[in-house]
Amino acid sequence: MSTADIAPESVLERRGVFTPDLLDRCISCGFCLPACPTYALTGVETSSPRGRINLMRALETGLLADDDPTVRDESSFCLGCRACEPVCPAGVQYGALLEEWRDHMWKGRRRPWKVRPLLWVVDKPRRVRAMGIVRRHAGRGSEAPGPVNLMLGCFERVLYPRVSLDARELAAELAAPDDQGCCGALHAHNGEFGRGKELAEELGDALPGTIVTTSGGCAAHLASVLGPERVKEFSQWLVEREQPRAAPPEEPSLDRGGTRALGATPAETDDPRAAQAEPRDGAAAKPAGGRPRIGLQDSCHLRNGLGVWREPRELIARVGEYVELPSAAACCGAAGSYAIVRPKDSARVLDRHLDEIADADLDVIAVVNPGCYRQLQQGVKRRGLRTRVVHLAELLAGEK
Amino acid sequence: MAATATSTGLGRRLEGVVGREHVRTDEGALVTFSTDATPLVRGRPDAVVFPATAEEVAGVLRIANERGVPVVPRGSGTNLSGGTVPHRGGIVLVLTRMNEVKEVSDAELVAVCEPGVRTIELAQAAAAKGLLFPPDPGSHTIATVGGNVAECSGGLRALKYGVTRDYVLGVEAVLPTGEIIRSGGRLVKDVAGYDLGRLLCGSEGTLAVMTELTLRLVPAPEASVIGMAYFPGLAGAARAVSRVLASGVLPVTLEFLDQVCIGAVEDYAHIGLDTSAGALLIFGQDGDPAVIERDLQRMAQACETEGATEVRIAESPEAASELLEARRAVLPALSRLEPLTILEDATVPRSRIAEMVEYIQQVAQRHELKIGTFGHAGDGNLHPTAVLDPADEGAVHRAHAAFDEIFARAIELDGTITGEHGVGIGKLRYLERQLGADHIALLRRIKAAFDPNGILNPGKLGS
Repeated sequence: MSTADIAPESVLERRGVFTPDLLDRCISCGFCLPACPTYALTGVETSSPRGRINLMRALETGLLADDDPTVRDESSFCLGCRACEPVCPAGVQYGALLEEWRDHMWKGRRRPWKVRPLLWVVDKPRRVRAMGIVRRHAGRGSEAPGPVNLMLGCFERVLYPRVSLDARELAAELAAPDDQGCCGALHAHNGEFGRGKELAEELGDALPGTIVTTSGGCAAHLASVLGPERVKEFSQWLVEREQPRAAPPEEPSLDRGGTRALGATPAETDDPRAAQAEPRDGAAAKPAGGRPRIGLQDSCHLRNGLGVWREPRELIARVGEYVELPSAAACCGAAGSYAIVRPKDSARVLDRHLDEIADADLDVIAVVNPGCYRQLQQGVKRRGLRTRVVHLAELLAGEK
Repeated sequence: MAATATSTGLGRRLEGVVGREHVRTDEGALVTFSTDATPLVRGRPDAVVFPATAEEVAGVLRIANERGVPVVPRGSGTNLSGGTVPHRGGIVLVLTRMNEVKEVSDAELVAVCEPGVRTIELAQAAAAKGLLFPPDPGSHTIATVGGNVAECSGGLRALKYGVTRDYVLGVEAVLPTGEIIRSGGRLVKDVAGYDLGRLLCGSEGTLAVMTELTLRLVPAPEASVIGMAYFPGLAGAARAVSRVLASGVLPVTLEFLDQVCIGAVEDYAHIGLDTSAGALLIFGQDGDPAVIERDLQRMAQACETEGATEVRIAESPEAASELLEARRAVLPALSRLEPLTILEDATVPRSRIAEMVEYIQQVAQRHELKIGTFGHAGDGNLHPTAVLDPADEGAVHRAHAAFDEIFARAIELDGTITGEHGVGIGKLRYLERQLGADHIALLRRIKAAFDPNGILNPGKLGS
């Protein structure tokens, strides 16, 4: 038979680049294709999560070599946004596979040269501190860590020092010792997973207790190393602080997820699902007298990695009219160092977001991650849009 | 190794037709077009081509026909029978650039679209005008309309609304020899000539490449409601299906899942399914709200008579669609148990479902396999899925032996070896058993009439 001569990967020799359990999980169903921003751009299987996993498998079995140009290009063309993960019924951990891929592909000299100075700067806490000296942020050198500590971030403290100041204004109990470095996400996503993990552990030592961060990407990386109990993204922490014993968001609070017993009246609309659906309809809602129209750009790893997306929407809806943009949950193209490594592709990914911001004529677009902040700020400026880009902490502090 | 597309100049000739940026011959791209969603079958193509028009498709086919190069048409590659795997090499012809919905007419209840439109996009375009395109295969968010027509896809609404073939009014298609033909059109009545549209529907890309489809739409139902019933075992659920269908109700949806499938899908979707139940029957009706209520009552009663332990109704459209989307994800979710899932779609007359389900369970036991069964119970279309460790070669062989028996039994029960996934590569060897030698010989003559040089999807249907 025609199929007899074709062996599955699993019986071929493996090179040990990837963890077998991670790589074997994909059954190529293709459910990830519509979620992938680079597949949307190209329409080519090779630039989809399923296609890239097939490339990884070919690399693993030696069918394709390390220096194969397509393998190399796709390892950097992928945004690493992990939008393919929540839609994957098979539970493939694509983000973890990508880290292993880049670890292998980007060793030493093969790493994109533009990334190298970034990694150098954030590799040592004293360099991170030195960057922050020029700007006034919330960190104080003399301050001792408390039970709950604010992470100052590496680039965030330089580019957006206002964010940490506003976070502290909103929550005075946040301690912010200056003696803290980078979380290691940049390393982990750029081919130095081991060092990325070490940096997260060092930060965990410097900030014992709960770590609160205003950066969604850092939150996801830190949580993957230190555990989700110890790490909270700012909006998540604010909402959980108000409702300390709230059920985890993924659990339906009705006995059998949105169903009623036969014969029961279908009236009650206290169904949490209906309530959650509300903000999504916000775009169609009429503007309430003079309240600002505010959109949100989700942080990819915060949403796709930690499942946090309701919280920032809830907080925004308290201070303005929340408008759900169609691509709010899709990557804006900042993607860590992506905007620097692949500026043209990054701008192509951003275009759709800018179109939607312009169409919705937003007053404000809120962000929960410094990379998205920079990306949207530059895009909005380039297009000459009137929309203001602000971090959620700044937005909430401004309303106080 | 065989000569590459570049070394033979094939790549350059194809570039002349579709433009340089729409031909891929790099090893990496060829690897990613070696598979579809079918496990264990693969084949490296020599080139991947992305045409934008029927004329470009014709140009590609003429080159291939002249050189005797195989051509495998492909949409999003969600095929489950190896139908889009280029196991004889050649050209993969990807039609996803042809993705325009050209027209949705509420006056004529017709949609005209290109083959690369995703099924859900067509459904949404229809819904925007208050219309329904009923075929909704499990992969409707990914799969293309062209692929659905080529495979005659079914879906969750087939019981009441039929399958893709019931919605194909006309096609424009390119013959393997390069001529562009049209058959049928926007007319409900048209008997001028053989119904080639119907012939191409389900032809699995072996006769011609469809480049435009004219499809029938129906008015969208006023309302639709989904309910669910838990049973101690699959047998009870299967009996309930027969009882529902005998009660004078034609439900829009009647799906069942056994315990293995309930557990896997709940692990993915977290929608609060009772994973301790032996089986779950999902039933649905659409149309006039008063009729829905009456039918739901009848279906619920049928379930209770057959021993349902609990019957529930989805509270909101959101909850209903969550339940249906979870049902669509059963197959990939099953791979959470083991990474290799071999899925088949043996189908029997609906009155024989209980018998078939019981037989599948016996086969699984005899071959010491974990087989999860789910499927479109209302139309007898079952999806027994063996969940295996790919490293366990013995288990893979046992699974093939088990499916041999399951197919044989399906044929004995006046069923079919494939309800909606297609014959593809793997089931070709069972086809003659079902159809007989004379029928197979006729298929081959039809294939030869369309494709004298045998370039379109060779080694599959008609070969």
